[in-house]
Amino acid sequence: MEYQISDKAKKVTLGLAALGLVLMIIGFFSQKEYVFAERLDEHSVKVEYWGKADESQIDGLKAKLISEMENKGYALDFHEAHSHDEHAEGHGTHHESPTFLWNIHLSHLEGEGHGGHGADGAQAIVDLCESGTISFFDSHWRRFWSNLLINGFFFFGISLGALFYLALQYATESGWGVVLLRVYEAIAQAMPIGIIVLVLVFITGAFGLHSIYSWMDPANVEADHLIWKKSGYFNQGFFWLRVIVYFGTFLFFANWFRKMSRKEDNEGGTEIHFKMYRKAALFLVLFAVFSSTMSWDFIMSIDIHWYSTLFGWYTFSGIWLTGMIMVIMIVGYLKSQGYLELVNKSHIHDVAKWMFALSFLWSYLWFSQFMLIWYSNMGEETIYYWERIMEYKYLYFTMFGLNFALPLIFFIARDVKRSWSFIIVIGTITFIGHWFDVFMMVMPGTLHDEWSFGLLEIGMFVLFLGAFVYTVLKSLGKAPLMQENHPFFEESKHHHF
Amino acid sequence: MADKVIYAMYDDDDETKDAAQKMVDKGIHIADVFSPFPIHGIDPIIGIKETRLGIVSFMFAITGTMLAMITIRYMMFVDWNMNIGGKPNFAFLENMPSFIPIMFEFTVLCAAHGMAFTYFVRNGLFPGMPAHNPDPRTTDDRFVVEIRPEDNNQFSFEELSAFVKTTPIVEIEEKVIQ
Repeated sequence: MEYQISDKAKKVTLGLAALGLVLMIIGFFSQKEYVFAERLDEHSVKVEYWGKADESQIDGLKAKLISEMENKGYALDFHEAHSHDEHAEGHGTHHESPTFLWNIHLSHLEGEGHGGHGADGAQAIVDLCESGTISFFDSHWRRFWSNLLINGFFFFGISLGALFYLALQYATESGWGVVLLRVYEAIAQAMPIGIIVLVLVFITGAFGLHSIYSWMDPANVEADHLIWKKSGYFNQGFFWLRVIVYFGTFLFFANWFRKMSRKEDNEGGTEIHFKMYRKAALFLVLFAVFSSTMSWDFIMSIDIHWYSTLFGWYTFSGIWLTGMIMVIMIVGYLKSQGYLELVNKSHIHDVAKWMFALSFLWSYLWFSQFMLIWYSNMGEETIYYWERIMEYKYLYFTMFGLNFALPLIFFIARDVKRSWSFIIVIGTITFIGHWFDVFMMVMPGTLHDEWSFGLLEIGMFVLFLGAFVYTVLKSLGKAPLMQENHPFFEESKHHHF
Repeated sequence: MADKVIYAMYDDDDETKDAAQKMVDKGIHIADVFSPFPIHGIDPIIGIKETRLGIVSFMFAITGTMLAMITIRYMMFVDWNMNIGGKPNFAFLENMPSFIPIMFEFTVLCAAHGMAFTYFVRNGLFPGMPAHNPDPRTTDDRFVVEIRPEDNNQFSFEELSAFVKTTPIVEIEEKVIQ
């Protein structure tokens, strides 16, 4: 029953990680800094830019825009507006002036004759700016840190979900899933990846390298009464204490369960089982508190003014679901390689039932949070959804629709829950869907409307996925796949319905 | 000739299942199994058709959703326009999120009650109806497998009852039914 990671699996997972790293680096250096164009009428456009750029870059961009439009048959006439006063009228909320502000007037080039068939040159400029053809390259770090937080939290959550379910199995003395427990253990063993990345994000935030957590900056606490009111909880000392307690507890239990089940393999008897039964109950109590406060600390505090009492449950349901999807995928892989022959269709059916039920739990909590805020209609709460709906509308609702409807439509049938092809397809889509859920928890609070989805996002996700699966498979090889001395092993072997 | 029937009684669900499997392997057709609780995995063994209760449940559920939507729309937008959650747009679709809980609850209500009553009607379960099970103990701790000789013409009655006796029965009853 011993499993060793095969050379092929090693190559594929590490290859994925390497590919992800390359994509991520390409994505990092090809980030676009958009300029914003507004069509005033058919012959005039206002183009403005608020980011960083030096004179030569601006001139380069201007030359590019002129040549692009020349091909379309237009000549451009630039009126640069530098006046502070003129600008302050238009943008009451901004106190600085833009890096540049061009009022462009279009005229047709002699002899081109393009104007005849209703081509709209002003619209063409807007399109060029929106598509990113006319934009700056800027390898800024904000997107990088946000992505690191997304992936760190997502993959940390998978491990945590598996650890939670492992503890649940011991605390409820469940018999059916014993043949799967080693997979849960192995996934929980990959937790350090997420923890290291999250700690990296927190440390860099604490040193001011990024402003994901605006409450970490004392100047913001001074200036903002609402943050100041919350500083009893959100201050660096208490935050770091909590981080150490969370991660310490989770790592301790992940390793302790592993150690004890290995001991049970060698010694047998029921004494170890009852010890784990009691410790698992203790873990569940701690997890109940920590999973909520952790989601406030790591995710909800990005939008520091906003809070939702449902948030902890909502995050937890996503964590649990992705953990279950990862479990069923790893089990499917192992079975396809000829391992885990004791895992039968009834075990798979039961895990798929969890995927079905947890998708519902997640959708229920997502919608409850949305509906309560939508119904009560208070500005300080609706801002959370306003940002998401204004800037991320299609992605946001597609994400929710897929994560809710796909399991609903397909997993309701008994035979689908026993079919690997359905489980793999729907599992993969909901897995990615829940990555986007975490994306949607973080991005609107950090990058607001300046988000984009490109090679940086894809690459980093692939990098993490490869590294995570590699770690899981590696730690699966460190113990026998079956806990043959588990008191319920015999029951689990005969699980059938 | 009046039909005869064999009732083989067991005192364990797993033994019932194994015995049923043994009989089916021998080619015996089992008419029914009586049990105080559902025995997981016995349906495919004795060849019970898959229940259609799920389809009924879905139809009742859709009816419930529809009824809820029609009623809400009539009460809140047709009969008397209501300002819902400070959003006086007086349109059903735009206020839909606030009605999802009611629609959901009404769906569940209709599905659950419809399913329960369908089950009662299909099985002839009404107050005062005579019991169909062969032995009152099948509602407590006994499991009964019913075999009808007319379904198993390839065996004689004696062969059937001799084979049933090789399984771990606790009691066997051979009855003549009218």
